[in-house]
Amino acid sequence: MHTVSRKSERLVNLTIALLATKRYLTKTEIFNSVDGYEGTAETKERMFERDKDDLRSLGIEIEVGSFDPLFNDEAGYKIRQEKYHFELGDISSTEVSLLSLAAEAWQEASFGDVAQSALLKLRSIGIPSDELSIPASVHKLNDGGQDLSLITKAIAQSHLVTFSYRDSNLGIKSRSVVPIALSTRDGFWYLSGVDQEIQEIRTFRVDRISGAIAPSVGPSDFEAPTGFDPSTAFSESSKHDFALIDVRVGKASSLRALAISTQSLGEWDQVKIPILNLDSLCSLLLWHGPDAFVQEPAELRELVIEHLVALVKNHG
Amino acid sequence: MVKKFSAPLERTARLLDLVPYISSHQGISLAELATVFNVDQGQMTNDLTTLWMCGLPGYTPLELMDLNFESGFVTIRNAETLSKPRSISFDEGVALVLGLDLLRSAISSERSDLLNKIDLLSQRLARLIKLPSGLSATSVVNQEVSGAITGALKSRMGLEITYHSLYRDEISTRSIFPIEIVETDAHLYLSSYCHTASDFRQFRIDRIQTATVQAVQQEIAKSPIQRSRFTCTVKVLTPTRAIAEHFKQSELAVNTQFDFDTYSLQWMERSIMASGRAVCLQSPPDVRKSIAVMAQTMLDRYKAR
Repeated sequence: MHTVSRKSERLVNLTIALLATKRYLTKTEIFNSVDGYEGTAETKERMFERDKDDLRSLGIEIEVGSFDPLFNDEAGYKIRQEKYHFELGDISSTEVSLLSLAAEAWQEASFGDVAQSALLKLRSIGIPSDELSIPASVHKLNDGGQDLSLITKAIAQSHLVTFSYRDSNLGIKSRSVVPIALSTRDGFWYLSGVDQEIQEIRTFRVDRISGAIAPSVGPSDFEAPTGFDPSTAFSESSKHDFALIDVRVGKASSLRALAISTQSLGEWDQVKIPILNLDSLCSLLLWHGPDAFVQEPAELRELVIEHLVALVKNHG
Repeated sequence: MVKKFSAPLERTARLLDLVPYISSHQGISLAELATVFNVDQGQMTNDLTTLWMCGLPGYTPLELMDLNFESGFVTIRNAETLSKPRSISFDEGVALVLGLDLLRSAISSERSDLLNKIDLLSQRLARLIKLPSGLSATSVVNQEVSGAITGALKSRMGLEITYHSLYRDEISTRSIFPIEIVETDAHLYLSSYCHTASDFRQFRIDRIQTATVQAVQQEIAKSPIQRSRFTCTVKVLTPTRAIAEHFKQSELAVNTQFDFDTYSLQWMERSIMASGRAVCLQSPPDVRKSIAVMAQTMLDRYKAR
């Protein structure tokens, strides 16, 4: 207890001293003035080196410089106030409310701890927030136990990430991707990035990654593709084929939800649906049984028929 | 009670964050402060005692922070150097940027004033933590629906909802009394008493299409109706990821079987249909038969063309 207390006390005092100083403080000055540096010169030296590392690991930047550039002086240290403080510039009560709601969107016990500490800092700005004035009720975010921090760091630094991915046939394949986007949709997290093998953007569902994600230094000539919008990874509209499906009136809401146009045929409606993945569309059609009937394309009809033949054979 | 000592670094971070928090909440009670920082009151008293010894070099009363907490209420003076909150970490920034994006999808497009503020805040945060754009979070829930649900839960009112039942492939209108929101398998459900079914039901929130707050009788039938559970046996013919995820099986191998419990045989029938040639239902026999008949009827229709 005592040593823990002494150590924290010394670190706080060091932070205050380095923040308050206008010029660089030399080690000698620090040892003479900051409370808590005791023992032989060597002990103090070791203590100080460890303290610097500890403060840096807390995200506090310590600047090293010389306080008289004309002479080759002993190095000095200080912490720049503008780097130490949370500088969002002028901020209104509404903006604090929005940020607080953003932090509260995280479910507890996931990335929630991090969001909680952000919330604490927001509350410490000293501007009252009135979250009730914002007309929104926010759905909760959950990291689902995924290492979102690692993925976002890789996005920020254009690092390469390597992982094993379960493909649609349950095969496990190693993928190397420079991630450019992370998004969440329908409760799942998706990672988009440039697949190094094919040099094209691919999107992966994070919970289909098997085992750990290994980050490494990315290709030096990497340029993030511009204009990539993660939402288009799910709903590209221009470059694929369409299926024409007859659906019974009042039925097949999930198919209707995908339609880009609907035409009434009396007891049936004909919907036009973009084909993102032939197998999953086929599966959705079969789910709706006799309430959905494929008109086009022939490829999809054949696939449905093939499955129906197998279903009859396997269950007859 | 087991006393837990915080690691020195965690404690240092807390001490540094305590100063701006107290500065902006002068007179806060010791108990509340302990709750906010998620420590017990004993630890909080220790923290404040340590902080009381900190200050600028010299460490005379002129340089030390002036903390007062004997009365059970905490005030701080002479702490200008640390009185502003610390800069946010990369992870904290990411949490806020994603949270803001989610918030954006929950705000009506008529409030362009708020939407603009969100965009600007997001850009400012991204600059602070040096994050390129590329994070997005979309709410799957219709904002009117989630607004009505929150309202009903807060005011203990009922709701009239239109609900899309996936396995019945039906949209029904129901009068419900919502109890709580629960999360299962990454989806949010509204646990409710359904007056239409006279039973407790869970509704997947993203399948509620409309919701209106209304007064409903709060009398709830004493004992919930027992719903029967069916055990089905499924044989794997072609292991695929779709099958593994749909039936929540971690291991799948050709020609192996697994049992699956369901409250709805209709769900099972549709699931087997949707799986096509990849699986085969072994039991119950009447569902097997119904699948064969349905598939044959559909096949006849395709062949007739």
